[in-house]
Amino acid sequence: MTNVLEVNNLKLYYYTSKGVVRALDDITFSLQEGETLGIVGESGCGKTTAGLALLNMPMPPGKIAGGQIIIDGQDIVPLAEKEMRRHVRWQKIAMVFQGAMNCLTPVFTIGKLMMETMLEHKTMKKEEAWHIIEKYLGYVGLPAGVTKRYPHELSGGMKQRVVIAMALFMNPKVVVFDEPTTALDVIVQCQILNLIKKLKLEKALLSCIFITHDLATEAEVANRIMVMYGGKIAEIGTNQQIYSERAAHPYTKKLLAATPRLHQKVDHLSFIPGAPPDLLAPPTGCRFHLRCEVAMGKCSAQEPPLIEIEPDHKVACWKVGYKE
Amino acid sequence: MPDNILEVKNLTKWFPLRRGIWQFLRGQQRYARAVDGVSFVIERGEILGLIGESGCGKTTTGKLIMKLMEASSGEIIFNGENVTHLRRPELQKYRRSVQMIFQDPYASMNPRFKIRSVLQEPIVIHSLGRSYNEREAMITKALEEVKLMPATDFMSRFPHMLSGGQRQRAATARALILTPSMLVADEPVSMIDLSTRAEILQMMKTLHKELNLTYLYITHDLSTARYFTDRIAVMYLGKIVEIGAAEDVVEKPGHPYTRALIEAVCEPVTGKLDLIKHLPIKEGEIPSPANIPKGCRFHTRCIHAKPECWEQAEPDLIEIGNKHKVACRRYNEIK
Amino acid sequence: MSAQDLTYWLKDFWNEFKKVPSGIIGVVILLLALAIVFFEHQILPFPDGNTRWRDITYWDDNPKSAPPVWTNIFRSKKLATSARLALGEKKMNAMEGLQCVEQTFDYDYQFDSPPLDIIIRVKGKSSVLLVIKLARPDNFGVELLQAQFDFLGDEEKRLSLDSDARKSLPDFLSQFAAPEAVRTIDPSTIVPTRVLFAKTQDILTNPQPLKGKYRFTVTAILMQEDSKIHDTSIVISGSTAGLLGTDSGKRDIFTGIIAGTKWALLLGILTALISVGIGVVYGVVSAYFGGVVDTIMSRVFEIFVSVPLLPVLIVMSAVFKPSIWVLILMMCCFFWTGPVKTVRSMALQLKEETYIEATRALGGSHLRLIFKHMVPILIPYSFASMALSVPSAIVYEATISLIGLGDATIVTWGQILHDALTGGAVLSSIWWWVIPPGLMISLMGMTFAFIGFAMDKILHPKLRTR
Ligand SMILES: Nc1ncnc2c1ncn2[C@@H]1O[C@H](COP(=O)(O)OP(=O)(O)OP(=O)(O)O)[C@@H](O)[C@H]1O
Ligand SMILES: Nc1ncnc2c1ncn2[C@@H]1O[C@H](COP(=O)(O)OP(=O)(O)OP(=O)(O)O)[C@@H](O)[C@H]1O
Ligand SMILES: [Mg+2]
Ligand SMILES: [Mg+2]
Repeated sequence: MTNVLEVNNLKLYYYTSKGVVRALDDITFSLQEGETLGIVGESGCGKTTAGLALLNMPMPPGKIAGGQIIIDGQDIVPLAEKEMRRHVRWQKIAMVFQGAMNCLTPVFTIGKLMMETMLEHKTMKKEEAWHIIEKYLGYVGLPAGVTKRYPHELSGGMKQRVVIAMALFMNPKVVVFDEPTTALDVIVQCQILNLIKKLKLEKALLSCIFITHDLATEAEVANRIMVMYGGKIAEIGTNQQIYSERAAHPYTKKLLAATPRLHQKVDHLSFIPGAPPDLLAPPTGCRFHLRCEVAMGKCSAQEPPLIEIEPDHKVACWKVGYKE
Repeated sequence: MPDNILEVKNLTKWFPLRRGIWQFLRGQQRYARAVDGVSFVIERGEILGLIGESGCGKTTTGKLIMKLMEASSGEIIFNGENVTHLRRPELQKYRRSVQMIFQDPYASMNPRFKIRSVLQEPIVIHSLGRSYNEREAMITKALEEVKLMPATDFMSRFPHMLSGGQRQRAATARALILTPSMLVADEPVSMIDLSTRAEILQMMKTLHKELNLTYLYITHDLSTARYFTDRIAVMYLGKIVEIGAAEDVVEKPGHPYTRALIEAVCEPVTGKLDLIKHLPIKEGEIPSPANIPKGCRFHTRCIHAKPECWEQAEPDLIEIGNKHKVACRRYNEIK
Repeated sequence: MSAQDLTYWLKDFWNEFKKVPSGIIGVVILLLALAIVFFEHQILPFPDGNTRWRDITYWDDNPKSAPPVWTNIFRSKKLATSARLALGEKKMNAMEGLQCVEQTFDYDYQFDSPPLDIIIRVKGKSSVLLVIKLARPDNFGVELLQAQFDFLGDEEKRLSLDSDARKSLPDFLSQFAAPEAVRTIDPSTIVPTRVLFAKTQDILTNPQPLKGKYRFTVTAILMQEDSKIHDTSIVISGSTAGLLGTDSGKRDIFTGIIAGTKWALLLGILTALISVGIGVVYGVVSAYFGGVVDTIMSRVFEIFVSVPLLPVLIVMSAVFKPSIWVLILMMCCFFWTGPVKTVRSMALQLKEETYIEATRALGGSHLRLIFKHMVPILIPYSFASMALSVPSAIVYEATISLIGLGDATIVTWGQILHDALTGGAVLSSIWWWVIPPGLMISLMGMTFAFIGFAMDKILHPKLRTR
């Protein structure tokens, strides 16, 4: 399998008036063709930031402060905005933004919205564009009739489908889904997950990055899971490794334990006390050590590197893979 | 005092829809029947979960009980007293017994108020506490009850300086200052990080025991409901279609809709990759509350529907054992 | 907000604001205007001009309709400028048992056209004999005046060259011209300043300016024990005056402009504050209650919006003869409509906020919701509308003053314009009377418009270019 996407030592900082927010700090991972990589973590750990960085469109006042993003053999970090827009963004990598379904302009019909997005990306005849729109609406399981309706006339699930269709227009190799199921109810959530799975079956070479804070959702779609904590990678492993009690990082373990399960009645759910770190002034050493039950002296002093403990399974923790 | 702290009888809320010029001239008025004949009881000290998909009228039910809107018909009986059409000053008294926790902890507090002012609000509104010290003590006590300690530190913070979980605790503290006997919690954890979700539910459970509270817990997430509630009521399109002990509803669901809800829940276990889940429910649009299907309101999406379902009148809740009730004519056949 | 947050907010706001150049210009001009108001007393050339604008006697020493001093730059024949001479020396000596005070004033005369008049003011007590002499650069001297004055109390005497020194001129002139020629001239036709500051040659027929240092000596012989003299001053009433010239009533226009600044600011800002305050509350109340209340309030709003403001204000002013405060109130009666629309639509959104609902669930009253929760949040959004209604307030006041219905006890730019109009400034092309107040009105309007637009851009990000 070849890597469609390789990210090396990526850093993205927000230069705010209060100081530098290190929202992505030295992140390295890769994405294979046809694979789905899940990014999980608490609110504010830098998931959305990572997604935006991959499109080389950091939200101001953010800036990519270093590293490489190699898509299809080309490093896109040094590319000029014009170049990005013409050849990379939406054509090679596309994103379904967090909450995008609530940001559809209410005054246009879905058809008009889609048409505009379409023509913005590529110059083509209107008829041709209609053709493509209908095709992609079919992909996401919507009747062609929705083009005549306004966003507010659609349910949350339908809007999310429209947004997904719009991301797929240019036939990108990689699609980043940022929390596509959050704020939707279980049934719709399940349907959207089904849709993503179907898309992957139909387009065998589509690679996805699926961002969410819910480990349970991630289990349904992601081949590999990347757990982020405080702007850094805590653990990367395959679906099997993470969900079959081989998760190694204490943070991942805690997250799993905090996820309620339907068919097990437990009296006591565990949770992670404390709050995620302030990325303006992250703690020294391992960023998790303040909330970690098994932290030792070294954890607060030195930052653990991400090391491979078994094939495809990397962990950044002094307690894992080191001899005492 | 009666055993049932709250009794809801045939509660409805119809929102008038906007009329076209023709409808206006003909004097026609159509309604969105957001809540369409809901009845249930909550026993003292019980936690009842109200579950359903988006738009089925859960929040509206909560707000009706909270008296944030006026019911179109039906009765709400609280502690044996009919409170459906309560007005001030009795309403103020009612508000001290029933309080609400809202879904969005980021929006439920005025961003310009410090936590102290947020918590002072109920005190000022209800003129509680005689001296400054007494009021401060009340605020401190409430903050400590929800484990926001040290209280003085949190008092001088603004909501945006708290995490989602801490805000939800502060919101709970605000409700607790009035020493209510019942809390309506509208999706209190759906916007909170997974890592702290359990913490909040835990706290709410502790309060439940310590203060002998009763909860109406509104959510669309069955897994937290299973964990948190004693009984679950499943709502579909403005009506309750199944109600029973949490265990019974989750493990032995009677209504096809409940089954779909359970089937749809994601669980953190491996081996479900690329498996397309087939929900026992028809795809397609959810009927709108302005246009509730005739007969059994679920028949348009039910995979087991037979002509009798839409030809005959709407099924009532029938007991299928151990206070477990289902509103489905064919529950026996489709088991 | 805590102090720290506020500073961050301000910092961010300022960072955004910096990006709007017109906003910066606006702020700079506004700061200048505020500085003017603050240091008014230091700036005003006529410190009492502010309160005594309509007191003719106060302006007596000034020339009439004199152009600004700096216009000399563009003239080949320089006109004498108005000036107040500094006291040179003060000597006291005894003379035959009488006290004698001698004061000198130096005047450096470098003009081609003499001043209009010279005014000497003396304050004294009891009986004093005044002798005023002028020493010229060519060493000729003139005794301009010798007279005894009886001061009543602490009275001030005003002596003008034009009226009080004519008698001495024939003697002076006869030194240089034929006595017959002097005698045949009607003394009233001689302009004293023209001959006193002229070369001796052809002094009668064609006086040429004699440039150089002149010295006035005012000698006061105190005739009685309790006689006293003090506060002697000499004012040259030139043919150009002040930074901005004078009007036909001899008033210094610069003084008027400076004194008018604070009224413009006060009137503009106060009107904006009050009317925006009313508007915000109106909008919030209308949105909060909704239904019938909203419908009625929206109708009332529409009526007020559609009223032609200027005619109504003119009629009201004509009826009430308003003072500035009443005028402000009158303008507020109509200006409050400005922010209503935006505030109402924002309040409609705000009303749906969860914390509003939460407060209702706690049992909060309407008053609490409106004034504690909604109004404070919407106020910042009305800043822009506030800044934008300042210029219209200034312009409307000017318009009302222009047609002569303004507050007669103060000086505003509009009133200066009004006086210019009635004083025939346009006909006699006294441009320096019309342009400065007009310019100031538009400048101040522009300033607030700039600030308002800049704030609008920042506070209502919808308008931002993406
Ligand atoms: N525009 C911005 N300016 C400054 N800081 C920002 C900005 N956007 C994000 N951040 C900060 O960067 C960090 C990462 O934010 P990000 O939005 O990527 O988190 P996230 O993991 O997507 O969280 P969520 O689950 O809430 O969407 C946070 O600490 C956030 O405060
Ligand atoms: N003020 C209102 N006016 C008109 N219709 C309303 C109003 N409030 C709610 N509705 C409608 O009533 C129905 C039920 O809404 P409600 O908010 O109770 O649903 P919910 O079950 O809480 O959904 P969610 O899970 O999305 O919160 C919806 O169709 C909604 O559009
Ligand atoms: Mg995000
Ligand atoms: Mg709801």
